[in-house]
Amino acid sequence: MKYIDYVQLSPLEKFTHKLSSFFTNLPKHIGNFFSAIGRFFVRLGKGIVNGFSNYGTRFSKGDGATKLSYLVMGSSNIVRGQYIKGGIMLLLEVLYFLFLFTFGFKYLGKFGTLGDTPTQSNMDPVTHRMQRVPGDNSMLILLYGVLTIVVTIVFFVFYIINTKSAYHVQKLSESGHHIPSFQEEMKQFGDEKFHITLLSIPVLLISIFTLLPLVFMICIAFTNYRPPNLAPNNLFTWVGLDTFREVFENKQGANMGSTFLALTEWTIVWAFFATFINYFAGMVVALMINKKGIKYKALWRTLFVITVAVPQFVTLLIMNQMLQLDTGAINILIESMGGQQVNFIGDDPLTAKITVIVVNLWVGIPYTILITSGILMNIPEDLYESARIDGASPARTFFSITLPYMIFVTTPYLITTFINNINNFNVIYLLTNGGPTATEYYQAGHTDLLVTWLFKLTMSTQDYNYAAAIGILVFIVCASLSLITFNVTKSAKDEEAFS
Amino acid sequence: MIKSYKTRRQIANGIIYAILAIMGVIWVSPLVWMLLHSFRAEGGSSVHYLLPKEYTFDNYIKLFTETGVINFPRWFLNTLIVAIFSCIISTLSVLMVSYAFSRLRFKARRPLINIGMVIGMFPGFMTMIAIYYLLKAMGLTQTLPALVICYSSGAAIGFQISKGFFDTIPRALDEAATIDGATRNQIFWQIILPMSKPIVVYTVLTAFIGPWTDFILVKIIMGDKIANYTVAIGLQTMASQTYIGTYYTQFLAGATIVAIPISLLFLKMQNYYVEGVTAGGVKG
Amino acid sequence: MKMKRIFAVLLASALMGSVFVGCGDDTSNGGGDTTNSGGGDTTQTAEIEDGATLKLWGPNAALATLKKQAKAFEDAHKDKNVSVEVVQMEENDAGTQVLNDPEAAADVFGFASDQLTKLTMAKAIMPLYKDYEDKVVKEHSKSAVDTVRGDFEGSEVVYAFPETDNGYYLVYDKKVVSDEDAKSLEGVLEACKKAGRKFIMDAGNGYYSCMFAFTGGLKLDGVEGEAQDTQKFNEYDEKKVSASMKAFGELIKKYKGTFSKAAVANISAGFGENPRQVGAGIDGTWDTSVNQKALGDDFGVAKLPTINIDGTDTDIVGMIGYKYIGVNNNTKYPEAAMALADYLADKDCQQERLNDLGWTPTHTGVEVKDNPGITAMQEEGKTFVVQANIIQAFWDPMGNLGNQITKDKADLSDASMSKLLKDTLNNING
Repeated sequence: MKYIDYVQLSPLEKFTHKLSSFFTNLPKHIGNFFSAIGRFFVRLGKGIVNGFSNYGTRFSKGDGATKLSYLVMGSSNIVRGQYIKGGIMLLLEVLYFLFLFTFGFKYLGKFGTLGDTPTQSNMDPVTHRMQRVPGDNSMLILLYGVLTIVVTIVFFVFYIINTKSAYHVQKLSESGHHIPSFQEEMKQFGDEKFHITLLSIPVLLISIFTLLPLVFMICIAFTNYRPPNLAPNNLFTWVGLDTFREVFENKQGANMGSTFLALTEWTIVWAFFATFINYFAGMVVALMINKKGIKYKALWRTLFVITVAVPQFVTLLIMNQMLQLDTGAINILIESMGGQQVNFIGDDPLTAKITVIVVNLWVGIPYTILITSGILMNIPEDLYESARIDGASPARTFFSITLPYMIFVTTPYLITTFINNINNFNVIYLLTNGGPTATEYYQAGHTDLLVTWLFKLTMSTQDYNYAAAIGILVFIVCASLSLITFNVTKSAKDEEAFS
Repeated sequence: MIKSYKTRRQIANGIIYAILAIMGVIWVSPLVWMLLHSFRAEGGSSVHYLLPKEYTFDNYIKLFTETGVINFPRWFLNTLIVAIFSCIISTLSVLMVSYAFSRLRFKARRPLINIGMVIGMFPGFMTMIAIYYLLKAMGLTQTLPALVICYSSGAAIGFQISKGFFDTIPRALDEAATIDGATRNQIFWQIILPMSKPIVVYTVLTAFIGPWTDFILVKIIMGDKIANYTVAIGLQTMASQTYIGTYYTQFLAGATIVAIPISLLFLKMQNYYVEGVTAGGVKG
Repeated sequence: MKMKRIFAVLLASALMGSVFVGCGDDTSNGGGDTTNSGGGDTTQTAEIEDGATLKLWGPNAALATLKKQAKAFEDAHKDKNVSVEVVQMEENDAGTQVLNDPEAAADVFGFASDQLTKLTMAKAIMPLYKDYEDKVVKEHSKSAVDTVRGDFEGSEVVYAFPETDNGYYLVYDKKVVSDEDAKSLEGVLEACKKAGRKFIMDAGNGYYSCMFAFTGGLKLDGVEGEAQDTQKFNEYDEKKVSASMKAFGELIKKYKGTFSKAAVANISAGFGENPRQVGAGIDGTWDTSVNQKALGDDFGVAKLPTINIDGTDTDIVGMIGYKYIGVNNNTKYPEAAMALADYLADKDCQQERLNDLGWTPTHTGVEVKDNPGITAMQEEGKTFVVQANIIQAFWDPMGNLGNQITKDKADLSDASMSKLLKDTLNNING
């Protein structure tokens, strides 16, 4: 459609046009997404090549002190009067090598095998007294090996900064410019380099406590770290993709494969219902509260919002108590009204699944009310105007204007909610703990999500490698979902530019 | 014609009132039930009737005096301490990171944002074993600082919402300030932050509430050191099969005590919360 | 504002520092840290380490008694300056916790026998020294010792000190269920129904629900010896086992509304309510004192009753296990830890726990005075399946079997019962 045609449309038609082009272009967007990934890797490769060639150029153009900086960090800076900066760099280098020789190499050396001498418990055949000779601890070798690698990467970044800085001061002094003092450079950290000030500490913390453990656990997925290969008394080692194969495999008895598939299916069904029913129902309630002519809006809002305010695990523990057979408040209520007690979470899989979805409505609707009220009020009045002229009923208005508009505007929120629901540990763990039990699953019940299964595999059976592999698979699902949708919405948003 | 339109509207409103009233009752009744039974005088266990027969303050008094097995006051204090420290650290780091990503331009910006989003998509529980051993290597397991580290170190990964909020503040503001000779440091602290009350409140609120609701990491980090538990794991312990028989009403009392301050805090701050999250996270 | 930033910088550097310091520490003691002290060359009882500090894990219910006994142990070894810290850890979790981090776990811990296989596979538990082994074999009941026998790299060993029986029996309110009623499950359920009371059994828990199958003759292979062997069920009469499962299912269906599937904690709670809600239940020995307190003089206890399978009254067969005291293989003070475990498993301590907690002794020298609970346990001990060699894979499938039989719309046809049995055993046998 040409721009000239587009501007002549009524607001409602403009909107429907945008919406339909959003969906018709979906395949194209997905294609773009994959080519974007390809481009990213090409760019990355180019960047690395450029980096190295710059690194070489700087070296060949550098004078003696600069060249020395390639070996002894900070020498160029020290020669040219930047004593503190140079000193810090030198200190970093000394510290790094100290770390490497006293600590890093010991673990890095065994990283390939994760240890070869097991801890020996030699029992005296007569007295049965133990002589324990501690051997390698595969877990620590892996953890500290990863730590050493992370530290090395960080050091490498500083090293490159050092070579750049060495050449930079050389050029400054050659061209007779003023060489900034340490204080002057520090000032930059409040201004031009303020991002470094802001980011360094959080990035450091994330690297140590999030990134490092994550890399470690990803590595675990490629080992056989599960009983009986448990550190520190036994060794484990690399097994390549075996773990993943076992996760998909259906050995007799331990039905890892079918459990994985069934739980994946339920996880997605759950995430779908938990996200969208909450979203629609919450929006309808929000519309009711905000309808013209409805009084006591604040009261209604507070009634719902108070359940958001109470910490979720408290309400879930309470709900679990209320759903119990016999003593649960809900069953007592049913009984006093002449009904039969219902075993909500311990008997029939379907009942349990419906129960968790319904309870999650109770948890989630108020949150949607909270989030959507404001946006609902901001829907352009002219959209409704034209619908009214067309004589549309309230229900039709909702489905053809309110809903599409809201989905369009809040797509990022929906995606995040969907992903949060895939990882919604609390509701399942506290409400059913995975139950009712299943004949055909390995270490899981009917309502277990992949994350709660992951948790059980870690905590009760020590199947660390399976848990790690499942974590990676969950990540792949979440990542592809959100990358595709983010990409799509981004281009959809771009199209708004011409309205 | 006009009259019938009016009556129709009245009927519609009447139906809406009825629906809202029924739903309101459904939504509030579990909390009312919790509150009522936390004052129940009869027995420590669950009962077969809906409303308590007698009421007493004993459950609350016991909760704070009988600390031999269930040391609730200590756990409450632990949680408060951890919440305060981790709230300060995580708020600062979230705001710093999101500000940098939103308003400063530098080479590593895009890659860092992408890495952050990728990390955020791994299920958090995956890493708990590794975190445990890291903390153990530092000699911090079974201590409260370990919890502060856990809750606040990774907080900056959740920068998206506040970044979204900062994105909505016009850039002209920064430019004007720069012309006036302000450094970026000054712009951040003296101009942008005071304007961003909703997102600051939102971040503080979520960071403060976090430690009150986690019961997984605490359990792993504290192990058998029950004295250093927090209220969440404490309440979960009380609701477990071993204890629920005797601690039922005390569990409800404890749940009420945790719920009240946090609910009040939330209700008081909800407008900021909503403003922050809708500006930053919902509309993207 | 500046202060905050400075503070943050300081904190981060402190953190970073502690990473390196922490790691550095590890390198310094990682190599030379041999925890042996007994040596392999002496046959006498070695000395307890000087200044040994031990951690002992025990369940909440027994904490007070264990603290008392730990104090007595400290006093007995005053010259060596031994100190024992008693920390709460339920016996069901102890094994898992030891495996999660053996170095942070207790030196001496009480655990239930089903966790033995996990512990031995990971080499996390230290076999008894020969002198202790001889003593244990001589003084404790044979089945308790046989359950923890095993093989450590070729030599026959005993893995832990027996602490108590771990089983369950029928508890009932004598006002509702007569001793005669208590002889058959039908009688118990009928009496409860008449009085409008509940009968509680944790039928979704494999520990209890295994009785549905065990009563039909399902048995573990190789109960005796070899604690490392995984348990298998190979020899059984499919028809008989299915018939037993079906009989339970139909009886429970008949008494729907009376039969209640709930955790055992609800039994004492239901006895304690006013008016009493529970008439009878299948409860563990460890709950004896709470049930006694709730029922007072009306407290009745008996071995599990009979059930009518295809016209014949058959004794219900459940599972009987043991609780043990184990020594962590990673302990720094093996001699002291062994000595403490031995002390706790010995006659005096068992006697004290019997008096304080009602725990059945395994030590044959302990005097048991007219105690119906213990008599019931001894009766059951003759026929019940001993909980040896049970590994983790047993519980979930067996619990599920219970759930399938007792659920509202259970399909109790013969075909469905044998299919359920086969699926369950498949899952367990692996």
